[in-house]
Amino acid sequence: MAERDLVKTGIAGLDDILSGGIPRGNVILVEGAIGCGKTTMGVEFIYRGASQFDEPGVVVVFEVSPDKLMRDALGFGWDLAELERQERLKIVFTTREVLRQELQQADSVLLEEAAKIGARRIFIDGVARLVGGNGTPESRSAFHVLTEGLQRENLTALLAVEASSLNGHGVASLPEESIADSVIRLKMEDNQRAIFRSLEVVKSRGQDFQMGRHTFRIIDRHGIQVYRRVQAPRKASRDLAAAFDPKTRVPTGTPGLDEMTNGGYFIGSTTVVAGISGVGKSVMGLQYIAEGARRGERSLMLSLDEQVEQIMRNAVTIGIDLEGQMKSGMVRVEYEPPQEIEVDVHFHHIEELVKEFKPKRVLIDSLSTYGSSLGPGGRVFRDFFHALVALMKESKIAAVYNHENPEMLGMNSMMGDFGMSSLVDNIVLMNWVELGDAFRLGMTIAKMRANPVDRITRECEIMNGKGMRVLPRALPVPRLPFSSYRGLVSRSPERSRRTVEEVAPDGSSE
Amino acid sequence: MTDKPFSNRQQLEEIRRLLAGTPVIKAACDLDLLVFLHRHPRTLLTNEQLAAFVGYEMKQVAKAIDAFIDAGFLERTQNPNHAARMYLLVLNGPQGGGLKRFLQLASTRQGRREILELLGPGRPQTEPVDISKSKAKRRLHAIA
Repeated sequence: MAERDLVKTGIAGLDDILSGGIPRGNVILVEGAIGCGKTTMGVEFIYRGASQFDEPGVVVVFEVSPDKLMRDALGFGWDLAELERQERLKIVFTTREVLRQELQQADSVLLEEAAKIGARRIFIDGVARLVGGNGTPESRSAFHVLTEGLQRENLTALLAVEASSLNGHGVASLPEESIADSVIRLKMEDNQRAIFRSLEVVKSRGQDFQMGRHTFRIIDRHGIQVYRRVQAPRKASRDLAAAFDPKTRVPTGTPGLDEMTNGGYFIGSTTVVAGISGVGKSVMGLQYIAEGARRGERSLMLSLDEQVEQIMRNAVTIGIDLEGQMKSGMVRVEYEPPQEIEVDVHFHHIEELVKEFKPKRVLIDSLSTYGSSLGPGGRVFRDFFHALVALMKESKIAAVYNHENPEMLGMNSMMGDFGMSSLVDNIVLMNWVELGDAFRLGMTIAKMRANPVDRITRECEIMNGKGMRVLPRALPVPRLPFSSYRGLVSRSPERSRRTVEEVAPDGSSE
Repeated sequence: MTDKPFSNRQQLEEIRRLLAGTPVIKAACDLDLLVFLHRHPRTLLTNEQLAAFVGYEMKQVAKAIDAFIDAGFLERTQNPNHAARMYLLVLNGPQGGGLKRFLQLASTRQGRREILELLGPGRPQTEPVDISKSKAKRRLHAIA
């Protein structure tokens, strides 16, 4: 079968959604309300074609003056004037009336000009009123004439059409949609008080594409960046890349914890460390990252809770030179503020980081912050977490997710509102245990896939300058050890054994 | 409003020198057409539409276009069967440097005013058409 002749748009992220590009000669309708990025998309389509794919192009404008178009394009780093000098681009100012007449005639001056530079692409900014825009049979017919004129020259055409009804959630199909080969709908969507841009490929003849609304941004000095919808199905081949190594362990870096986990976590495993704020999840996480660096494994920490400087300071207090490890290139710490997270954008950043840095360990601090930002009960959060887990597994990363379980003394569920424990391989529960007048820290390995664990709750401690360690089960202290109680992970532990005096009158525990 | 004096003598001298080197700029219509073409270097318009955009009578605009073409900084492509013509402003010719500077000065209100004042003696000043009454204005409405 002959290879398909696809025109790459060159717009970052868009060709992936279009399965590589758009079939050559297609007429693409880009529709959206004022200010949603139609002109930017059209100009970038032409600029990328001329500058990256040796496909000269023509831009036709009716209202925007070419000098302003060039000025605005320069803001994205696109030197249209230079492309004009090189005869790879022509920007033509005309009226709709003239264009309509031009495209109805075989000896069109406009198309002659396009042919002089060997144009393969054309962008016409604002075709709605060119064809009437009222959905009458006449306007459909006018649009048909227009597309025929463009196809006669085998131009791949991108036509911007204003559709004010596409603001918010309104969806009203335009009469031109049925004639165009591809339809891309741009929208500005409300999310609380924020506005996000979204892009949807409504149709594209002759090809498969990723359906649904994807996020996009218009970025200074860059142009348009499209972020694939995080919920979109992955290629099955990616899942096959997941780790299958039943022997190699990833040590945790917390003294005593490796013994509880038979040597550490599996490669590619998903571990959730759950516990209320202050139990030491982040400390344990830092130790996990530092241990990786000590072993020469690249380790990545993604924080939504604390900024990098603060994390470095915290590390110093438990004897970890995180700054030094970052300078050595073994550790990367990334912070993103959690407010108004655009989930597709955020996931894209993580994917890029993983691709570029190639970590063996990743710590995400914390899952609950994603939950509060995206809504823990919603589909978006669940799909995001699914995608994250799949990415880590495919990249053979042992990922640890800190998760704040709101229950202070004990736990009724492992992951609170986050009903996703089935996705998780290992669950480490950390909780306060109130004994006498002190909160003591308990840790239980509640779940470990493919790993028999004793599910014994052990006591832990965090020591200034040293970090966290798991204490031996039999404590050489004149207090009752945890093993003297039952119900440690519930709200009210009960003593199941004798008193201290009965156990050891001389003060020892056994 | 009283007339403002020239912003400075140096600029005035420069404009005078530039006008001397650009004999085709004889009137306000020529100036405004040049500025329009600079902002729209490649246009595909009918003469009527061009006149409407610039805001002068078609006859004046046609005359200015011919002069620009003769001076070598405007190219015209036309097909006898079409009313629209493709115009291309070429500023890389021998007069290009001077024209660019001239356009730079004309891009400000003050600069344009000074140029128009200097276009008076020796160069018949053509007043812009009252566009609200002109055929050109009506035409612009019709095509918009």
